[in-house]
Amino acid sequence: MEELDPTQYYNNRLASLASLPTSPYSQMFRVSMTFDHYREKFKGLSNGERLAETTVSLAGRVMSKRASGSKLVFYSLESAEGTIQAVSDARSLVGGNFAAVHANIKRGDVVGVSGNPGMSNRGELSIFVKEIILLAPCLYMLPKGGKNRDEQATWRPGKPRNPNAYVLKEQETRYRLRFLDIIVNPEVKFVLETAHSAVNYIRSFLDQRGFREVETAILNSKAGGAAARPFNTHHDASEMDMSLRIAPELQLKQLLVAGYNGVYEVDKQFRNEGMDLTHNPEFTTCEFYSAYSDYHDLMTMTEELLSGLVKKITGGYTVSYHSNGYDSPPVEIDFTPPFRRIEMVNGLEDTMGIELPKDLASEEANEFLKKTCEARGVYCAPPLTTSRLLDKLVGHYLEETCVNPAFIIDHPLIMSPLAKQHRSKPGLTERFELFVNKHELVNAYTELNNPVEQRDRFVQQLKDRQGGDDEAMVLDEDFVKAMEYGLPPCAGWGMGIDRLVMLLTDSLNIKEVLLCPAMKPPEAVPPPNEKGTPQA
Amino acid sequence: MRGLGIEPYAYSWNRTHKATQLQEKYADLPAGGVADSDEDRVSVAGRIFARRAFGKLAFLGIRDDSASIQLYCDKAKLESFTQLKSTVDIGDIVGATGTLKRTEKGELSVYVDNLVILTKSILPLPEKWHGLTDIEKRYRQRYLDMIMNPEVAGVFRARAKVVSVIRRFVEDLGFLEIETPILQGAAGGADARPFITHHNSLERDLFLRIATELHLKRMLVGGFERVYELGRIFRNEGISTRHNPEFTSIEIYQAYADYNDMMALAEELVTKCAEAIFGNAKLLYQGTDISLERPWKRASMQSLVQEATGIDFSAFGSDLSAAKSAALSALSPRKDESLQTVIANCATVGNVLNEVFEAVVEKTLIQPTFVTNHPVEVSPLAKAHRSFPGLVERFELYICGRELANAFSELTDPIEQVHRGESAVKQHKNDSYEVTLDEDFLTALEYGMPPTAGMGIGIDRLVMLLTDSPSIRDVIAFPVLKSQQ
Repeated sequence: MEELDPTQYYNNRLASLASLPTSPYSQMFRVSMTFDHYREKFKGLSNGERLAETTVSLAGRVMSKRASGSKLVFYSLESAEGTIQAVSDARSLVGGNFAAVHANIKRGDVVGVSGNPGMSNRGELSIFVKEIILLAPCLYMLPKGGKNRDEQATWRPGKPRNPNAYVLKEQETRYRLRFLDIIVNPEVKFVLETAHSAVNYIRSFLDQRGFREVETAILNSKAGGAAARPFNTHHDASEMDMSLRIAPELQLKQLLVAGYNGVYEVDKQFRNEGMDLTHNPEFTTCEFYSAYSDYHDLMTMTEELLSGLVKKITGGYTVSYHSNGYDSPPVEIDFTPPFRRIEMVNGLEDTMGIELPKDLASEEANEFLKKTCEARGVYCAPPLTTSRLLDKLVGHYLEETCVNPAFIIDHPLIMSPLAKQHRSKPGLTERFELFVNKHELVNAYTELNNPVEQRDRFVQQLKDRQGGDDEAMVLDEDFVKAMEYGLPPCAGWGMGIDRLVMLLTDSLNIKEVLLCPAMKPPEAVPPPNEKGTPQA
Repeated sequence: MRGLGIEPYAYSWNRTHKATQLQEKYADLPAGGVADSDEDRVSVAGRIFARRAFGKLAFLGIRDDSASIQLYCDKAKLESFTQLKSTVDIGDIVGATGTLKRTEKGELSVYVDNLVILTKSILPLPEKWHGLTDIEKRYRQRYLDMIMNPEVAGVFRARAKVVSVIRRFVEDLGFLEIETPILQGAAGGADARPFITHHNSLERDLFLRIATELHLKRMLVGGFERVYELGRIFRNEGISTRHNPEFTSIEIYQAYADYNDMMALAEELVTKCAEAIFGNAKLLYQGTDISLERPWKRASMQSLVQEATGIDFSAFGSDLSAAKSAALSALSPRKDESLQTVIANCATVGNVLNEVFEAVVEKTLIQPTFVTNHPVEVSPLAKAHRSFPGLVERFELYICGRELANAFSELTDPIEQVHRGESAVKQHKNDSYEVTLDEDFLTALEYGMPPTAGMGIGIDRLVMLLTDSPSIRDVIAFPVLKSQQ
């Protein structure tokens, strides 16, 4: 008889554990093969057949337990490779009292099973138990599952899914007790594995093209290479204030000065900002820098990399994505190359039917943009720099059209302090951003390698900073000095890995793809709720 | 240069070959020979490190990230010769196209018909870089260090290789890479002082992780049976030849395995890395020959301490004062007051054993040695030894007197974990930083973690060993500098 009160259940399990002669936690168990291997090896058995001479050891978590009379118990054992049935009958069990042994094994427990491979009468590949050992009890009741778990586990990247329909759906619980999310919701395992596949593909792609993976510092005396507020900390031994990096760009470029021709880093960046559906204070990017390349080369590389990655991971070029929420049908996002290219200034002018001032750095341009934003109802929070106003207009008029991957290119110089001025269009730079599903996924440019100009641009950023924009870029003298020794012509590229994984896994919230997203601190842990899971 | 109509900062360069490729392809070209057919037109790029100019001839040595090659500039063939002779300097980055020839002296050269300055360097390269006494300067301008000393670039090439070999090794064994958070509400999984930061919009303090253990073990509870993370760890401690406040580790967790399995894994992994760099299992570190021939020595902490001091720690039981006085008298010849104080303040016999081990034995372990079966008091996350009460199933791998890896059969019992955690907190009461019990980790154990073994390896220390580098800061591209200026 199953106890239904969660606290009573917990206490009862603790008590029964204490009464066991040996603690299950002191056990060690060796598996003889993985579940996949087991299926492969014994799939040819016929219904009712049992290999009495062969003993195999398997282990996993009990996801269901069903007794049939007093001498037969069925368990479904789950591992990272799906489910296998364990059938225990009184005759086959070696040593120990049948009833007593099975009384101690409950749904949720991690067990080791030794037995004979066989096919049940109904044709289900099983293991017929000779010995079953409790390895780690589950002290809580797991939420009751819905349909057959193996059916639920057919989701793969690129296909649509709906986390709101999961057996365990409270986000707080799912993200804070991520292990429970993985145990109870069969698709989550595959969602988390997608990040691994994506990063592996990117590493392989870059390694094959001669790029070298490097590690730059996360703790710096200043945080440069992008526009954002940093996390600050303090190194006690040397009494130094330090910042966590917001981007690895400046150090990666120093490695190009050092003589590397191609470098990349896939690792964490930190921005001390608010959290929303596409922003977590700690996130993963890939940045690479290629000497003697320009942004045209990188646009081609981006198309190759992304289309190849999507094909490898999903089997095709399109992914299903619930852009309009899980209650509306998903859209199909198509990664077939080549991707559309939109020149920013021309694009804005065409879409809005206006003509932008030629000198975007001028006061007149700033006034014009302020008026335009007001007239069109596009809100920009202060400070109302030209750069921020343009950014808002682009977001409103151009980014909204980019569902399939599209490049927005040739950004104005005032928006791009580290990018090289365009070789033929004054006031613009050789820069592109790739937008997918209306969100920025990639940012890249031919790098500015003139130190005199770089210093001037930093000074301009400083003016913006003093004007109230505390996201404006910080001057980094070490970096400028490195440029004075000669940075080869090069182009650099950065991609948000978490956002890529969101697209591949139909995740509307970045928290879905992060193992442990930033959360508000939990209140003191209250007792488990009715469903048997500890409350968030 | 702009006055002459030359753009000193080019946009790109269409390079066809790296120096190594040309050196290999034309290895058979004899001295005095030429390769000047259409198929032999190549395009190279790199930084000038040598320049010799005569009336109508100039020789430029350039280096790219693979090797170096000479540019043979002949006024007869190169139109812009005169102009370039006056504008091109050592330190500049140039691109050159031409065919191939090998000089009488045997130097493979590109016979240049077009030479372009891709980046004009404003600052001249320093003349003296070797023997630079200001180490901080080498680290602050690491790019100069790498330009002037190709061996330094070689160290980082080796590092990239090691990381790649390790990843491939664990992935081939079916381990899944996981990314756990760096910013956490509490810093657990090791015994170290954390960095603290503040998140503005959540209005809370956060800690930088000191280990990846507790989050990776949660994944075992979730059902992944083989996981790893190769990533950055942060400890708010001093800077030394063995310590940088941020460093890289790999942590590996395998279900249904124990610490013996991890010993075998460690041997294989380190040997594979050595073979990738040297081609064999022997290396030289700071003048000492190290043999990685397996199996490596395995010895318990107690037996090593007994060998070195004569003290049998297994005989003390819980007699703390006897253990302390034995230790103090064995260590008195050192006349080390701070060590004496530490011993006197030890809370348990296990702690005394550990201190004596660190003081007397650690530095003597030169050849690879697994030190095993630590006392439980210094191993809060390790499983109790199946045969020896008071000890745990743990090892630390020492090579050249330094800890390279730490591993154990994992403690899976949540009730025992709480007891161990409480003692750890008690022991740290006098420290200025908090040691906290991670409640969510305990909850995970309550859901049930399979029997598991885990191991952490210090990647930087491994790279130090394999590149004969005396300091950890030699293998970190941008180490923490001791001062801001």
